[in-house]
Amino acid sequence: MIELFDVTKRFGDETAVNAISLRVAKGELCALVGTSGCGKSTTLRMINRLIEHDGGEIHLDGEPVRSFDEVTLRRRIGYVIQSTGLFPHWTVSRNIGLVPRLLKWPKERVRDRVEELMQLLGLPVAEFADKYPRQLSGGQAQRVGVARALAADPDILLMDEPFGALDPITRATLQDEMRALQARLHKTIVFVTHDMDEALALADRLVVMHQGRIVQQGSPIDLLHEPANPFVESLLGGLDRGLKEAALIQVGERMLPFGPRLLASERIPYGASLSQALSVMLWHRVDRLTVVDEEDIPIGELSLRRLLGAKAP
Amino acid sequence: MTSSSVTTRAVATQRQWLAPLIWFILLLSLAAGMSQLEWLFRLLEPELRQVIYRRGDFLALLGRHVLVVAIASLLAVILGVGAAVAVTREAGRDFLPLVAQLASIGQTFPPVAVLALAVPALGFGTLPIIVALLLYGLLPIVRNTLAGIGSIDPDVHEAARGMGMTPRQILRQVELPLAAPFILAGIRTSVTINIATAALGATVGASNLGDPIISGIVNGNTAYIVQGALLIGLLSLTVDSIFERLQRRP
Repeated sequence: MIELFDVTKRFGDETAVNAISLRVAKGELCALVGTSGCGKSTTLRMINRLIEHDGGEIHLDGEPVRSFDEVTLRRRIGYVIQSTGLFPHWTVSRNIGLVPRLLKWPKERVRDRVEELMQLLGLPVAEFADKYPRQLSGGQAQRVGVARALAADPDILLMDEPFGALDPITRATLQDEMRALQARLHKTIVFVTHDMDEALALADRLVVMHQGRIVQQGSPIDLLHEPANPFVESLLGGLDRGLKEAALIQVGERMLPFGPRLLASERIPYGASLSQALSVMLWHRVDRLTVVDEEDIPIGELSLRRLLGAKAP
Repeated sequence: MTSSSVTTRAVATQRQWLAPLIWFILLLSLAAGMSQLEWLFRLLEPELRQVIYRRGDFLALLGRHVLVVAIASLLAVILGVGAAVAVTREAGRDFLPLVAQLASIGQTFPPVAVLALAVPALGFGTLPIIVALLLYGLLPIVRNTLAGIGSIDPDVHEAARGMGMTPRQILRQVELPLAAPFILAGIRTSVTINIATAALGATVGASNLGDPIISGIVNGNTAYIVQGALLIGLLSLTVDSIFERLQRRP
């Protein structure tokens, strides 16, 4: 659990972070969103004390971060940055094993853990263990970055625009993997991004920051339904808000068992989002879709009326 | 890995050390067998009675030359890398501009002048030449170490801190290895210059490969000058080719 109480940071005359309070529950993924310079990265870096806060208090599991030695503190917290920051003179496996080695784990345990993580992140050991960072694509390098952050199995993960430098397709893939990973690992994650779609897709809690202050926080659905002010509303996509919300809901949640009618000719997987279902309807000019499971076997149907009714269950 | 590729690699490694080895053998043979070449130097100075420098054994002169350069260079590496590391730490950062500037200005200072200034303070002999070589050799090392540490991606440094490395671990495991190619290039420049400059030591009473040269100039004996110059040249080539080989490592 991470708690911030009235945390403030000034750089000279400028107040980068202004008395923000925030509570990230254990196992929660909290996304800090906002325009550049809103203080979101500074907030993140104050948690592992790469930047020291000037006022207020930051607690991890009820203890102030200042009560820990900063090196010990950072070894307990996973840290992922946009540019990966991999050590160019170390192989992939040595990079991933960094924190376990700092913690003086026995050699075999480090090696086993590195191999376990490489498998977890889809990096075949035989192919990647001895490669150097310059031989990796952007997506592969960031997978290594995430593996390195997870190496010592920290409870807390800080991620500073981890997928910001990737192309859209790689970014979407890594976001999916991130979601799957979090469903398994239940880490407490603070995730900084300026990409609202990314935040909506990944976050349990969304924190919108503007000029060093928290403007609004809550679940993605709450924020979509009741943005606190026009700034939050525009950040959430303005007129596209309906589609953004539909993107958060799975077809499976809205489908109905088969009615008396014939099967609709167009199909949609039950794990797809309502916005994708709407897109399929628009494309084929139909108002009814057959919902199928992973093996393409029909399991129900989704009508346009059901889809529209999704907003108020 | 197959045994044939191991052999190929071993052969390749041997071949890469071939150049330094050849220069080194040439250097030793010439130092040991200079008198065998009396007929050759006779061609240079047919009038003179003695054409081979005999006041000191060439191997001994070479040994002292190498020793003086080695001591001065070792001290220069310790002090130079140390100073550059110190001013790139949090606490010493205020001195960074000063040291960087001194390093570039100092490079333009002629070594003869350093020698001339060192003699009144330290007397004649080996000490003033070691001091002169040390001061002169310091500068390329400081400058290159600063450049090497400065060339490291700030995000790599940020990640190292964020992962929980101590400042000492960052220095030893990240900064120095990444700056190593730069530092090595600085040491190469420093040592190569110093091998040539050390010959000036003969003017202040240090006995080394500069002796035959100075003696040749004083007595008007070109053969002596050539003998000293040849050995210094071969020593420079040997050392330089060793560094060249070291720098080619990935």
